[in-house]
This record gives sequence, C-alpha cells and structure tokens, in this order.
Amino acid sequence: MIDLETLIILIVTATIMLIILTYLEFRKKPKKPEYITKELLECIKCNYRLEQDFEPGDFISMYKRKCPRCGGLMKIKAIYAVEKSFKHHI
Amino acid sequence: MDNIDWPTLIFQMIWIFLLILLFTGGNQKIQMKLWSIDIRNKLKIIRKYLEDDQRKIENYMRNLGMDAPSILVKRIINYFTIEPVDIEPTDIIKRMDHLIQTSERTIKKIIADQLPDVGVYERSLVETGLAIISVINSIYKVVLHYLLTSEKEHNWVLLMQLQLIMPQILRLVETYHESLDPFLHGKPIGDTAGAYVAYRLVEEGEIISHKIVEDTSIFEVRLDDRRIYVIKAKGPGSNVGRPGIVLAQLVEELKGNVDLVITVDAALKLEGEKRGEIAEGVGAAIGDPGPEKIAIERATTKYGIPLKALVIKMGLDDAINAMKKEIYEACERTYEYVRKLIKEMTKPSSTVIVAGIGNTIGVP
Ligand SMILES: [Zn+2]
Repeated sequence: MIDLETLIILIVTATIMLIILTYLEFRKKPKKPEYITKELLECIKCNYRLEQDFEPGDFISMYKRKCPRCGGLMKIKAIYAVEKSFKHHI
Repeated sequence: MDNIDWPTLIFQMIWIFLLILLFTGGNQKIQMKLWSIDIRNKLKIIRKYLEDDQRKIENYMRNLGMDAPSILVKRIINYFTIEPVDIEPTDIIKRMDHLIQTSERTIKKIIADQLPDVGVYERSLVETGLAIISVINSIYKVVLHYLLTSEKEHNWVLLMQLQLIMPQILRLVETYHESLDPFLHGKPIGDTAGAYVAYRLVEEGEIISHKIVEDTSIFEVRLDDRRIYVIKAKGPGSNVGRPGIVLAQLVEELKGNVDLVITVDAALKLEGEKRGEIAEGVGAAIGDPGPEKIAIERATTKYGIPLKALVIKMGLDDAINAMKKEIYEACERTYEYVRKLIKEMTKPSSTVIVAGIGNTIGVP
C-alpha cells in the first residue's frame, strides 16, 4: 500500500528529473570559433611584410598600397582566416 | 468501501493508462508528435537561412545594377540537371559531360543576359552564390517532403530516421549558409588549396608562355631546371575550369612526352584526422562527377606517364569557407613538397605537368 506522502515524493522526484533532463538538452553548446579574414602584404622592393584586414574584391597578387618603409608597391601575398582572439572582442 | 486508498488507486490508474498506450501504439503517436515538432523547429532555422541568403544575394545583384533579381533567383534555384542513363554505360562519360556543360553554360548565359555590364569576376561570384542557395533550397524541400510524407502515412520509422539525422543536415546547411560570405566577397576558400599551390609554382618560376583554354590557365614555367606546365582554373573569380580535359589535350599536344603528372587537390578528411595534413599517393586527385578525372587517367595511361596525387586534408566546412591559416600554411608546405617530388622523380630538363585542382576564387 502506498501512502500519499510516497506518491508526492515520487511525483516531485520525477518532476526534478524532467527539469534536469530538459536543462541538459538545452544547455548552451560550445560556441563555434569565429574567424576573421586577413591578408598578408609584401613589399616588392624591400620585402617588408604586414598583415591587415581583408577587403572585398581583393585577391592574391593584387598591388594594394605603398610600402610604409620604402614607398614601393605592396603585393597581396596571401589571404587567410584566423580565429578571432578574445582581445578583439574587448 | 469506506476507506478507499486513493493514492494506490491513482497509481494503478496511471499504470493501466500507460499499458493501454503501450498496447494500442498511443505512445508512438505522442513520440511522433514530439519528433515532428523537433523537425519543424530545425526546418524553420533552415528556412530562415534560405531567406537571409536570398536577400543577401538579391541585394548584391541590385548593387550590380539589376532591377528585379528575385525572378532570376527563383529561376536559377529551381534549375535541375537529369543524370544520364547508367544501365547502358556506353559513352556515359560523354553524355554526362555534355549535360554538365550544357547546364553550366545555360546558367552562365542566363546570368550574363541579366547582368550585361558586369565583369566576369562579379558574375562568377553571383553564379556561385546562386548555386549555394540552390543547394540549401533543395535540402529544405527534400526534408519537408519526408516530414509531410511520414506524417501523412503515419510512418514513424521514417520520421524517427529524419529526426535522428536532422542535426547533421542542419550542420550541412549551416556550412553552406556560412560559405556565402567568402563567395560574395571573393575570399579564397579551403578548396582553393590546389589552385594556390599551382599559383605558387608560377610565381616562383620563370614564365615562358601562358594561354587560356576553356576557362583554364596553362602556364609553361621553367623551375629547378625542368619544364613545368602548370594547369589551374583561370582566376581570380569563382571558377573551377576544366583541368582534366585541358590536361589531356596538353598531353596530346606534347605527343606524350611528359615525364610526370602531379595533381594537387583539397580532400575531405576523416573525422579525427588533422586539418591541413598532407598525403601523397597515386591517381588523379580531383573530385568532379567523372569526365575530368577519367580524362586525366586516360591520357596518362595511354602514354604510360606516372600519375601522382598530393592532397591537403580538410573538413567540408573548411573546404567551402574562407581558407584558414592552417590550410594556407599546409599549402606552402605542399608547394615545397611538389618541388621536392619533381626533383626526386625526374631528371633535369624533363617535362612535368602540375594540375592544381579546385575553385580558384581569390587566386589569379
Ligand atoms: Zn618596401
């Protein structure tokens, strides 16, 4: 024979378990890393290199800007995506 | 009956109710409802991606000077190509090639007619953008079809299977959804690896001649005292070219006087393999439906030319999203590897063909 107290305890336990299960299901999944695209520029005269943000329409081998060191033309050497670091966020 | 034990009675009732559900299949109905809600929620996300991407590409086309891009989008995303008959395999490659070419040419022409004053580069970005939306659209339609069919037929096995693979489908759609950005901005993607390695050979060597056949660049380059023909899609737009057909033509032009053929491509990694791993092997590293690959195999077999393959491993999300730095570094290593391989396998003043396979977006 089951008394009322046991029944209440059973129902309460079941409810708690359900809540825990739902929480586990909807718990935030690990966030995907965010990427930002950079381009590597190289001076054709003095080989000075610098990295800057990618701009739409840029492509590898394109002459982009003047070298800050010698004034020569800078060529896009590479374009790649790097993981956004936390410093970027702050 | 003056002291009824109510709690026990309620407990017994619950058990009987559960038993009835179990024997009549009622529990399955509840389960089906839950599955179907879950699938519908995920479908809503796919629908949102589809609408977002459609809006993005329509804005892009409007900026290029088009009045009503939505009509074109509708026409292209429902465009289909019927696979050739395969129970009669005679000349199936020829038929397949014909269908693929017709389909590609038609889409290119439709877009060119609508955007007459726009350069090849921007047009290629629109073409690929529309192809991405078309993939998402067909995934959406197929999932919706199976959901509605299983509900209509009360097919809980079908519904369960659909619910189980939904997370995987959603991830696939997310990958395509995210790849629209690099394509609309002209960023190199992971699949560009092969084309980039080919470009590095051209950059480093002394160019003797350069011609373009069928949207594919052929560079004749002198490097490490060898004559190297570099084949890659013509850049920097979104383009894969026809490297196989062009390679076969080149081998014929050289009358088979080729000492080595190397194909370089991005390859899908197995789960657990590292991104950017390089692997060397034999065969044609190219992932087309068949015509390009068989052309390379036939040409090299005809003249007994060694056919080597170098692949850079990556996941699908890496392959169609902006090229990650690890893959860029792997490309540089692969470039060194190609040079080492050529020196190892051929004598000075030999002729070598290197084909960089893949979409050349962002690489000239
Ligand atoms: Zn400089």
